[in-house]
Amino acid sequence: MTNRSYKDLLKMRRFPHTWCPGCGIGAVLKNVAIVLKELGWSNQNTVAVSGIGCSGRMSGYMNLDAIHTPHGRALTAAEAIKTVRSDLNVIVLSGDGDLASIGGNHLLHTSRRNPDITVFCNDNEIYGLTGGQAGPTTPKGTKTLTSPRGEPYLPLRLGRILTQQAPYFYARTTVYHLNHFKTCIHEALLWKGFSFVDIISDCIELNGRRLGFKTAHQMFKWFDERFHIVEGERDHLREDELGIAKAMIEEVPQPTEKVKVEPKGPIEELKTFTLEELQRFDGTGEKPIYVAYKGKVYDLSTSPLFQGEKRMRCHLAGKDLTKDIDIAPHGEDLVFKFPVVGRLE
Amino acid sequence: MKQLVSGNEAIFQGAIRAGANYFAGYPISPTSEILQQASLYAEENPQFRFLQAEDEIAAAIATIAASLAGTKAFTATSGPGFSLMQEALGWGHAVEAPCVFINSMRVGPSTGMPTQPAQADLLQVKGGSAGDYYPIAFYPNSVEECFRLTVTAFNAAEESLSPVILLGDAFLSHLYEIVDLEGIGVEVVPRSKEPLGKGQRLFTGTAHDKMGNIKTNDPEIYRAWLSELKDRHHRVAEKYPLFEYLPRQGSSVLLIAFGITSRILSSLKERFSIFRPIRIFPLLEQELKEVTQAYHDIIVVEGSDGQYAGWVEGATGRKVLRVPCLGGGFKLQWIQHQIEERLKGDAG
Repeated sequence: MTNRSYKDLLKMRRFPHTWCPGCGIGAVLKNVAIVLKELGWSNQNTVAVSGIGCSGRMSGYMNLDAIHTPHGRALTAAEAIKTVRSDLNVIVLSGDGDLASIGGNHLLHTSRRNPDITVFCNDNEIYGLTGGQAGPTTPKGTKTLTSPRGEPYLPLRLGRILTQQAPYFYARTTVYHLNHFKTCIHEALLWKGFSFVDIISDCIELNGRRLGFKTAHQMFKWFDERFHIVEGERDHLREDELGIAKAMIEEVPQPTEKVKVEPKGPIEELKTFTLEELQRFDGTGEKPIYVAYKGKVYDLSTSPLFQGEKRMRCHLAGKDLTKDIDIAPHGEDLVFKFPVVGRLE
Repeated sequence: MKQLVSGNEAIFQGAIRAGANYFAGYPISPTSEILQQASLYAEENPQFRFLQAEDEIAAAIATIAASLAGTKAFTATSGPGFSLMQEALGWGHAVEAPCVFINSMRVGPSTGMPTQPAQADLLQVKGGSAGDYYPIAFYPNSVEECFRLTVTAFNAAEESLSPVILLGDAFLSHLYEIVDLEGIGVEVVPRSKEPLGKGQRLFTGTAHDKMGNIKTNDPEIYRAWLSELKDRHHRVAEKYPLFEYLPRQGSSVLLIAFGITSRILSSLKERFSIFRPIRIFPLLEQELKEVTQAYHDIIVVEGSDGQYAGWVEGATGRKVLRVPCLGGGFKLQWIQHQIEERLKGDAG
């Protein structure tokens, strides 16, 4: 028998809800409630925050203290609440237009500050409440009310944006892949820090029908064709993959100590280079990377700036950089910590 | 202990005295010092939380959300930032969140003249956000008053359950005076709203009934809600009918000025009567009506092109002469000359 105790978390007296038949938001609300119930979260320790839009109505149906913010501001409000009340679990229930378009700046900066909140983004690739205008995640070529000949731009890649932060938790799932969906909700809620679940969802009435789908189920089958689940630990997801990409910390290179490396002998005894000779040491093949600065030639081959592929693209190599370095913001330490191998004629 | 204190410092200390435990802001002259002080204070006092937000939109939303979460919160900005905060102010009135917004005015529109003082944000303070709402705003004219009125603003916020605005100007923010802040006695109204996390309430900017159920097509529910809000705000405002009136025996001219302009005009108090509204909104209608009765000429000297003068005309039903001090120019001699000119013109 199905366990219906998750209904404790929903304001059942307010049902039937405001969403169209076939809409994916109901599935988002229900499954979030189910997982919250499993975890024992309730109105004694949890607060829900929403923005504006069809998905923004979700928090109002939760049996919790809930905040319904102006359009796009859910993340900021959630972060402030978590800051003031670290004893509360804070979840955000909103949509792609709210979180990624009008709230795009807050998405960047709240995720950067990494508060311990969980975001559920009902990503239906359309502005549904206002009638079906193109949104930030609408796929290129999709016909909507504001892109009658097909959306001209590529969609915002939420996964790529969020996995650039350190640390990060980004999960992509759909309302169709139910077990995977629940796993994502569960893991996101337990993640310490900013976690974001991008739930590909359907808006049959104001998007699907225009695209030629007759039922919500047809849209689910379309999700199944577009996406596949990938298992295991991932650090990023391709655009057709469903899964969890996460990293607790990202190695940030520490600035190395300033060390002055003096030439072993007097500078006059070192090899002299003409500009022409210097040009040959440009790092291509196995050649070292030499640059000149104020008459001295330095070996930058060990510089972390010029490793791997970058080595091949090193536009500085083999040149006299005296003028460039003198006007550059990083100053002289860039070359001074590397060994002097000669002098420029 | 007597100390040399700036307007900005006094405002910050006033907020601390009032029990504020949250500040969110974004750098802008002339209130960046408040942001800086808040960050320093947060370092030393872990119960005080601080956010340097990505923009004033976030700063204002965070202030209101922190208030709903259960703490006294405030933010500080200037005209351009205050424009970005309008959305949040409307929301703050709708969700009935007690908090304080400080707007130290500079010359606008847009970036204007950073950082020359002005007093031209009254219209956006009164109603820059969508729809009807009834903001309460105070405007000090000394460093000591910056402190006192910040506490008053927090008190009025808790009583009216709304974002209360403390006005200032670039002069006042950077005005240094010798005051003993610790020695100032003030009354502090305690926190009035239940904190988050135990109920099933919905705080929404969408029209709703008392249970928090969204009702977007019922005029009766909306009217009842708005009229309750209006009554409450006016009731609270009546507790603070703040103004300063310096009558001059024999003068037939009344000068009306507030904030830094009233400070500059105070040296004319031997020649003219001066009325200084301290509570800017809701307008001191009754007081203006009564005070102006005894005078032949009413002159409003303000740092805007007649914003307050228009309301004085509305409240008194009389013609009001205007001396707009625009572009950051508040020279006494110039103002005096303008007053003479207006009076000559009026006599002719």
